[in-house]
Amino acid sequence: MTSSRTVSRLSRILALIPYVLEKESADVSEILDRFDYSEDQLTRDLNTVFVCGLPGYGPGDLMEAYIDEDEVIIDAADYFTRAPRLTSTEALGLLAAGMTVVGMGTSTPALESAVRKLTKAVMPEASSALVVDVLDESDNVGILRNSAADQRVVRITYRSVGKEETTEREIEPWTVFTTLGRWYVMGHCRLVDEERTFRVDRIRDIEVTDDMFERPKRVPEPGVGYTASEDDVVCTIDLYPRALWVLEYYPVEVLRQSSRSTRIRFSAPDAEVPARLLLRLGEDARLVKGIEVAERVKDLGGRLLTAYR
Amino acid sequence: MQNVVERVLNLLIYLLESPAPVTAEDVRRTVLGYDEQTDEAFHRMFERDKDVLRKLGVPLSRHPLDAWEVDYGYTVDPDEYAIPDPGLTQEERVALSVAARMVRLGGSHAGLDALLKLGGIERSVGLEPLGADLGAEAEVLGSLFGAITERRAVEFEYRDKTRQLDPYGIAHRRGHWYLVGAGSKGERIYRVDRIEKLTVSATTGTFAKPRGFDVRSLMDSQPWETGSDPEVEAKIRFDSEVAWWAARTLGLEEPEAELVATVPVANRDALVGWVLSFGDAAEVLEPPEIRDEIRTRIEAALENLP
Repeated sequence: MTSSRTVSRLSRILALIPYVLEKESADVSEILDRFDYSEDQLTRDLNTVFVCGLPGYGPGDLMEAYIDEDEVIIDAADYFTRAPRLTSTEALGLLAAGMTVVGMGTSTPALESAVRKLTKAVMPEASSALVVDVLDESDNVGILRNSAADQRVVRITYRSVGKEETTEREIEPWTVFTTLGRWYVMGHCRLVDEERTFRVDRIRDIEVTDDMFERPKRVPEPGVGYTASEDDVVCTIDLYPRALWVLEYYPVEVLRQSSRSTRIRFSAPDAEVPARLLLRLGEDARLVKGIEVAERVKDLGGRLLTAYR
Repeated sequence: MQNVVERVLNLLIYLLESPAPVTAEDVRRTVLGYDEQTDEAFHRMFERDKDVLRKLGVPLSRHPLDAWEVDYGYTVDPDEYAIPDPGLTQEERVALSVAARMVRLGGSHAGLDALLKLGGIERSVGLEPLGADLGAEAEVLGSLFGAITERRAVEFEYRDKTRQLDPYGIAHRRGHWYLVGAGSKGERIYRVDRIEKLTVSATTGTFAKPRGFDVRSLMDSQPWETGSDPEVEAKIRFDSEVAWWAARTLGLEEPEAELVATVPVANRDALVGWVLSFGDAAEVLEPPEIRDEIRTRIEAALENLP
């Protein structure tokens, strides 16, 4: 029942003290930056340090900690000349971050040697125990990353998800990111004149143009959560036990659930998506409502049956 | 919270400066903030504060003070407390700071806490448009990672069964974290987000990882390559419109027109799902039993229409 805020506050204090002790002079603004502090937070933590120390807790037993003009002063804290060890969660976080960026294929020799040194310090006998694989098979991630950094417009041939059609469009790439095992590029799409997120693996061809764009000052946090729109095709499906994995892979709404079946509402930009899913599930699912989807299943199913006869 | 922070700081200083193990009673009498408590309140408080110390990475150890193990004393070895210096150069510290800002794990930037302990976050110039989100399971991954590095056995519930495992490694692949290790029936892979009620053995070094074992070797496969179906080879034709995309998934050279590819299959369901995700732009040509299975599914789906 420990508040994680207590732990993170203490963790930062125990990291701050050794840093300031070692420095000849520690500039306030540098400390704020380096330890991700607001001025109020730093003042509060220094005030806390100031009232702690050795048993007896008289003036000579307590640590000194205060701000003198633009400098952070900490003294009489010899027991805190080093920060505590990394916890396994902290070590994993930093190693995973380093390995992820190395795996993106855009890392520097400095990062590679940093990861090597950390691995040695954290798990000397288990260097193969952590694998982070985010590599994209194509070169597109690298091209898009460079275009985003240089603020250059790219022209892509894109096979859209759901609609299953191929279009050519110009986009202004803002960020390139990976989540849930796929790479995405987010930016302004000139074809629809709106902010859009594209799957990198669906980009067939890519061409960097000479056209420049200006990246907005504030770029929204990238995300790939599917947001239903009014034009969506909506249908109701009963899933039988063997098809329950669908709940984990599609953003569906569960309407009711029993041990025999689960009723879901499925929305997609095109009837093709639920139709392909239903054909794949066979007897493990049943379409309850959705005329457009039923028509598409009949149509596509009929063509597939001809091919497989 | 203010009181807790002060009390834990005082407790840690006391433990670091005590040459001999100290008992709970010593703490209660000596450290500011524990006095004036009832027995029960004190013990609750002390348990909680020890837990905070462990979460901070403080190596708190407990020793019996007599042969009958009636009384215990606590110590924190200052040498063990101190973070080992990995010897990072300024350039390496900047590179790690940039990486930590690019990668998210468990809803926040991965590794920033670790960087603070290593001397703070370095400022960097310029904008890095790349980013990665490694999912939500930071806590359970941290526990597993600790168990792996200290070679502690683990036990957990997975699909309603209790499993015991010597954990060898964790891997992030196709958007999921996997735990790899050896159970009573050989090497196994588990999805970390499906692990429940994880407990880690209290003793370290309970197993030895086989020499040359590499997590990667168990992970290098497509979903339809790992399964319990008798292994067969499937021949699949992809229309020219989707051939480039299928080739990319299979790691083949991108064809000019249509693609006919042969893939090993040990999980038919996964293969059928993948092929049907192309609609009628892909067709399994061989073997006949997979073609039969696809036909059966389509017929069932058509029969199930309202």
